[in-house]
Amino acid sequence: MSNVFNWQLGREMDYPYEAAYPDQQFAFIFNTNRCIGCQTCTMACKSTWTFSKGQEYAWWNNVETKPYGGYPHHWDVKTLDLLEQANPGRQVWGGTPEDLKVPYGKFNGKTVFEAAKTFIGPEGANRALGYLPTDEEWSAPNRYEDHPVGNEKGVKGQYFKGGELLPEHKTWFFYLARICNHCSYPACLAACPRNAIYKRPEDGIVLIDQERCRGYRKCMEACPYKKTYYRGTTRTSEKCIACYPRIEGKDQAGGGLPMITRCMSSCIGHIRLQGLIELNKDGTWKEARNNPLYYLIHVAKVALPLYPQFGTEPNGYYIPPRWVSRPYLRQMFGPGVDDAIEKYSAPDRELLAVLQLFGKDQRICHRYEIKEGPKVFETEVRGKKFALYNDTIIGYAKDGTKIIETTVEEPLHVRDAKHANSI
Amino acid sequence: MQLRYDEDFLEAAVFLCASGRRPGVPSLQIARFHREREKLYSILDPDERNAAFFNLHLDWFREWGLEQPLTDVLKESPLVREQLGVLAVRKTTGKNDEGAELYVNEAGQRTGLLALRLERLIHDAALRDYLRHEFTHLHDMLDPAFGYLPELELPGLNSAQKRLARERYRLLWDITIDGRLTAAGFTPTQAYEQHAAAFARGYSFWPQPRQAQTFNSLWRTQVPRHADFLALITDPRGLREAHRPAPGASCPLCDFPTFQWADPGLLESGLVQRITTEFPNWLPGHGVCHRCWEAYQVRELADCASAA
Repeated sequence: MSNVFNWQLGREMDYPYEAAYPDQQFAFIFNTNRCIGCQTCTMACKSTWTFSKGQEYAWWNNVETKPYGGYPHHWDVKTLDLLEQANPGRQVWGGTPEDLKVPYGKFNGKTVFEAAKTFIGPEGANRALGYLPTDEEWSAPNRYEDHPVGNEKGVKGQYFKGGELLPEHKTWFFYLARICNHCSYPACLAACPRNAIYKRPEDGIVLIDQERCRGYRKCMEACPYKKTYYRGTTRTSEKCIACYPRIEGKDQAGGGLPMITRCMSSCIGHIRLQGLIELNKDGTWKEARNNPLYYLIHVAKVALPLYPQFGTEPNGYYIPPRWVSRPYLRQMFGPGVDDAIEKYSAPDRELLAVLQLFGKDQRICHRYEIKEGPKVFETEVRGKKFALYNDTIIGYAKDGTKIIETTVEEPLHVRDAKHANSI
Repeated sequence: MQLRYDEDFLEAAVFLCASGRRPGVPSLQIARFHREREKLYSILDPDERNAAFFNLHLDWFREWGLEQPLTDVLKESPLVREQLGVLAVRKTTGKNDEGAELYVNEAGQRTGLLALRLERLIHDAALRDYLRHEFTHLHDMLDPAFGYLPELELPGLNSAQKRLARERYRLLWDITIDGRLTAAGFTPTQAYEQHAAAFARGYSFWPQPRQAQTFNSLWRTQVPRHADFLALITDPRGLREAHRPAPGASCPLCDFPTFQWADPGLLESGLVQRITTEFPNWLPGHGVCHRCWEAYQVRELADCASAA
């Protein structure tokens, strides 16, 4: 085991390999507040990459209804439970948020790598604590769709009073869209007995070498997010490839510019923003104040990693749902949840402008600038002053090509009278 | 009789052992299994490679004692061994899809199909108990004395009632199987008390003494018959003979079973006339369910409103 620094945990941690970081890291943000669970992303991925024989259970992208849903069933509860068994009562956060290296405080519990050293899981001793889901757990990708949970016991024949009021709904669910997190410290990579899994030095995308894989399924056991899939027809494991030909700018539609993945570009709710993050030698993020991902994750801090306590440093980030029970969200996204929701609920001028970038173009936005516009109105949101300005945000590709220009207020187009009712 | 295995089942079964989930598999053997398996990836022809994987997995399936429970329990059922040409074993994902089925082709050849969840293979003793139970199902289906028919003849029942009848059939059959296994000194898949509780739930409309008497006779019977089951599942409430609105009987208009009959006082003359126009043989004494009454009442009110 080596010592590597995990900034999401605010501390060093054990990992089976020496630290090695790519020049850039594939990363994304999903705004759970906007997801309507339409599964367009799921089908975009399925019809692009996993439509063949043997891939029936491979859903590289899935959208599950939380808290009950999950693919495979209860993947997160089971891993959290294993960690709790390994380190009972001590899976807790402490400290206070500091700089880029300690943005959420310090995690004092054990990661899947650390827990594996002292706790033998259901599959025996491994490099990362995990379990192999059963066939039944893989059988229904959208089980418990739209099933809500109540925060308190209801009274028969009576609705909750004030159940619609924020900050927390009394009955709630939300959609969690998931793909491989292309982790900085992938558990799948750590567990592979064949060294068939690698992280691309150019963009940090985690891939399985199909020539080397011998179908041990150790990656499936180890990945805490359960995002690798065994394919019976080839007897190898497969996983999300982050649509790397598009990231490389090889899709004709991008005109040579790096493009976002198929799942991101197909999202009708515009919940997704994908980018490439420049890294320092130590794996921390290079300061890029006007990169939309950098801004949302490190400046505004409204986007948080999914289950950071697993310790894999996932590169998928989520703007947490405003209406959901806070303890549940703290468990899922870490201690930054309350601040993130507070900020998102009454966004400042810059945040509101940057939120307009989601889903606006298929090419990757590396930098943005904001042109100030007039004030439209002013109000109060849960006791906080909120002003809306019709600013214009402009997004640029890495080579400086302008790819996005949009305003905070949705533009109103008035058609000529001769086109009236022609829609 | 020939035992055949589905390719997916074999592979998943040996991987269950290789992952250490089935106790008693030596780690040195697991390493050897993986070494042998790795070599096969270099076979270029896909069919040849698949065949090689199948054979390797079958060898380890036998080596790790996974075939033994099947063959041992089959030895206890001579009728199954004699009458079946093939017993095929496949993998299934859900509990509801598990079990044994009998297929007979046009030439009269009989094939048994056993669908198993992988988790069944973890514990040998529990697997044997389950196999014994399922093979008794096959035994009954093959035994002329049982008189099995593949399709349940349930004339006059709607689809919901047929489904209920099929569930009752399964319940009764399972009771007799576990009763016979217990009498023979084997461990049943469910204990006497569990079956008794399930029977009481399924026949809760019977008085307790009748429940107990019927259940005990099922548990003790050594020669169950398809026809006896049919008699118990088709109309256990005796509702067919009821010529009046009885709780749980079918509404004569919509045919759905109901416990909410419309109050006879609500059947006004206009409504009665409207129903008899569509159902000439219906009489007010037959009753209507509350839903049908509502539907006809709405139509009546709508017509009155449009006339006004």
